[in-house]
Parts: sequence; C-alpha cells; structure tokens
Amino acid sequence: MFEYTFQWNQALARLPKILEGAVVTMEVALLSMLLGIAFAILLTLLRLSGSRPLHAIATTWIEIARNTPALFQIYMAHFGIASFGIHLSPFASLLIGITFNNAGYLAENFRGALKAIPDTQTRAGRSLGMSQLQAFRYIIVPQMLRISFLPMTNQMVWAVLMTSLGVTVGMNSDLYGVTQDLNALTFRTFELFAIAGVIFYVITKAITLSARLVATRLFRY
Amino acid sequence: MKKTTTITALIAGIAMAGAAQADKLDDIISSGKLRCAVVLDFPPMGSRDADNEPVGFDVDYCNDLAAALGVEAEIVETPFPERIPALVSGRVDVGVASTSDTLERAKTVGFSIPYFAFEMAVTANDEAGISSYEDMKGHTVGAVAGTYEAIALEKQIEEWGDGTFRPYQTQADVFLALSQGQLDATVSTSTVAMANVKTGNFPGISVVGKAPFDTDYVALFTNRNEYGLLNYLNLFVNQQIRSGRYDELYEKWVGGDVPSLMVPNAYR
Repeated sequence: MFEYTFQWNQALARLPKILEGAVVTMEVALLSMLLGIAFAILLTLLRLSGSRPLHAIATTWIEIARNTPALFQIYMAHFGIASFGIHLSPFASLLIGITFNNAGYLAENFRGALKAIPDTQTRAGRSLGMSQLQAFRYIIVPQMLRISFLPMTNQMVWAVLMTSLGVTVGMNSDLYGVTQDLNALTFRTFELFAIAGVIFYVITKAITLSARLVATRLFRY
Repeated sequence: MKKTTTITALIAGIAMAGAAQADKLDDIISSGKLRCAVVLDFPPMGSRDADNEPVGFDVDYCNDLAAALGVEAEIVETPFPERIPALVSGRVDVGVASTSDTLERAKTVGFSIPYFAFEMAVTANDEAGISSYEDMKGHTVGAVAGTYEAIALEKQIEEWGDGTFRPYQTQADVFLALSQGQLDATVSTSTVAMANVKTGNFPGISVVGKAPFDTDYVALFTNRNEYGLLNYLNLFVNQQIRSGRYDELYEKWVGGDVPSLMVPNAYR
C-alpha cells in the first residue's frame, strides 16, 4: 500500500540548500553545547554552594530540564517568554531551549562525576594552600570533565537531534526546517526527509566517532 | 461436464479480471468508506466544534462526496505538512484539505479541478503601523508553513530584500505570534483571517487589506495514477457547482460574494 514513485533528482537538486541547513543545525548544536557546559558548571557550583536558595534554584532548573519534553522547553522559550513582552527570534528561542535542556542534563552528569572523585583530593589541595575555588578549578573540574566526557558527547548528539524541534517556533534555516520548507514546495516528502535523515545520521556519527578519538588522545594516563 | 468447466473458467476469469482491474474508486465503493484528509485547525474550512466534532467547509464537502459515492465518510485529521505522507501511505483516499494546485506539486499527486478559491488578506498587529500589503516591507512577517501564501510571502520578502519571514506549524501559532507581537503581520486567506479575528482569541490584531497574490485555487487530490477516481472527483466538483451546493456551503461557512472557480480566457 505504498503508491509513490521516488524521483531522487528532484530532491537532490535541492541538496545545496539542505546542506546549508545542516551547517546551521551544527552551529546551534555547538553553541548550545558550549553554553550548556558553562551553565551546567554554574548549576553544579550552586548546588555545592551550601546556600539553600541557590541550591533550590539549581534543583528547579535541573528538574524542569530533565522531566519535561524538550519541545515544551523550546516552545516556552518562544511563546512563553513572549507573553511577558520579550520577543526572541526563532534562532534565539531554539538556542535557549536546547541550552536549558543541555545544562540540566549535563549538571546531572557532572554530579555523578563529582561523586567519583574522592573528597580527600579537595582537602589535599586545601592543605597545599589552595582556596576552595582554586581546588575546584584545578583539581576537581578537570577530572569531572574527563569522567563525564563520553556522556557529554551523548548530549551533543541529542542537541543536534533537538534542533529539529525548531520548526515549532518558526525556525526554517536549520536542517529540518529547510527540509520541511522544500517539502511544502515540491511535495517530494520521502526523498527529502530520507536525505535529511542520512545527513542527521552522518553528523551524529561523526560526533561520536571524533569524540572517541579525542578521548583516547586526551585521557591517556 | 464440459459446460460446467467452461462456466467455472468463465466465473474465475471474471473474478480475476475484476480483482486485477479494481482501482481506488472500486476500493472505496467496496469498502463502504471514504477517508478524507482534512486540516482541522484551519477555520472555517476545517476545525472542531464545542463537542470536538470536525466541522467546516471541507468537512461538509467530504460528507457530500461520500454521500454521492454511497459510502460513509471518515474525516482523518491531517496537518498541512502531512497531507502527502497520509495519502501515499494509504491512510486516506482523498485530500479535501484546501490544497493549492501548483504545477510543482502536481508532479507528485493528482489534482482535481478547483473546488474553492481563496483571496489573500493581510492581518497585522495593531501596534506595527501596517495598513497595507506594501507596508510589510522591512517587518517580521509569517504564515503557516507549507501553504500557498507562505510560499508567496517568503518569495516576496526575498524580492524586497528587507524583512524576515517565519513559518509556523499551525494557523493558531501564527495568530498567537501575531497577537503577541512576535510577528508584525501575516498573509492568510481572507476567510481564515476574518474567522480568527472574529473569535476574539487573539486581541490586538486586525485585517488591514488585500494581498495582491494570484487567486489561490485549491483542489481535491489523490494518487496521480488514479484516473478513475480523478475523473469522478472532477465531475463531483462540477456537480456541486451546478446543483447550487457550492453556493450553499459558501454561504454557510464563509458568506459574501461567492468566488468564481473559472479562470477567465482559459480552456480549463
């Protein structure tokens, strides 16, 4: 029951446009990841701060990020924030939504990694005259990033895939958005989405493979 | 003995010939059910009433078609971007989904003659200072992804080289964004614009004028190779107009001057 003739040349003629979209997708994913790591470290610090309100803020962020759909988070970053009179472009909304999600998940990764680092290391650092922050910065964070490096690549893959949710907030320059635009124009649904699917696969595969390569280089004892 | 064999062979032959030649029109008639793809967030063409039942011009049109075929109608809710997947994967038989009959799309699906025609209108946020189509230059505008007006508007923004175009997934999202001021203006079919402004769900927006796009003729669609069914659809659309049912449905759902479905000075 599949009455459709594939016409690949019709879709392949649009490949340059789709590839432009792929570049935007990688930009969003990379930016959201860098920002996400920064915020995740901040969240981790807040949780370690010992201050109850700061701890509560971090926990709320992490709870919402991890227990609601990414679609909801991105939608809120666009239509939710707008009801307070703040208007963000689709690009900014998508970036904020994914960054929010990334930070929540990464903070949990970091918490797990921290648990694997014995307390005595901080105390050793302190006894050498380091401040609390110095010990955290020079002793704990490098190890934390190393232990959570592979889970971080997972999140990076997620970030790439989450960009496809941008269409709900009017994004039409990313890989999925471009594909959907072209679909509306030509109705060549299956060819176009197959191409987009392959590109998504190639991007995420490249991320996991290169991460593994980097990990073996970086983390040799 | 010989006679029975001949008759058996004849019956088998007829049965087989029947099976081999059964086309989609036959399938619909024998299954007793016509499944229509209808977009249900596109009032007044398709929406849901207070009891969550599908209503609208397209819904009535599908019911009429089913009645003409002597079968039961099944409305399959289909968002704009999913019309083609729904058709080719066999979830629906016919699209009654306000689909513009562009030549580009006709390479993929088969269209009937037009069954409805839209005029395009500009709706703007009251604070954007837009009072005509040309005023949209340099502003952020949007429309429903995958529609005729979205394609035309995006092209226009590219031509102007000034301003931003944003497609949203549903008509409701477009009017929400417009009402929030995320969009300064939108182009939609005038029927849809009037209907949405009238609901009062979207404060601070008004219809400010016509958009000078070509009339947007929309057609029923089905698989490109189903000539039997396409023929039937063409005759059905023609009969709807002849019988006055088109005028009646237009008055019921839209009101005002009934747009002509004839292209002046053209053969068809």
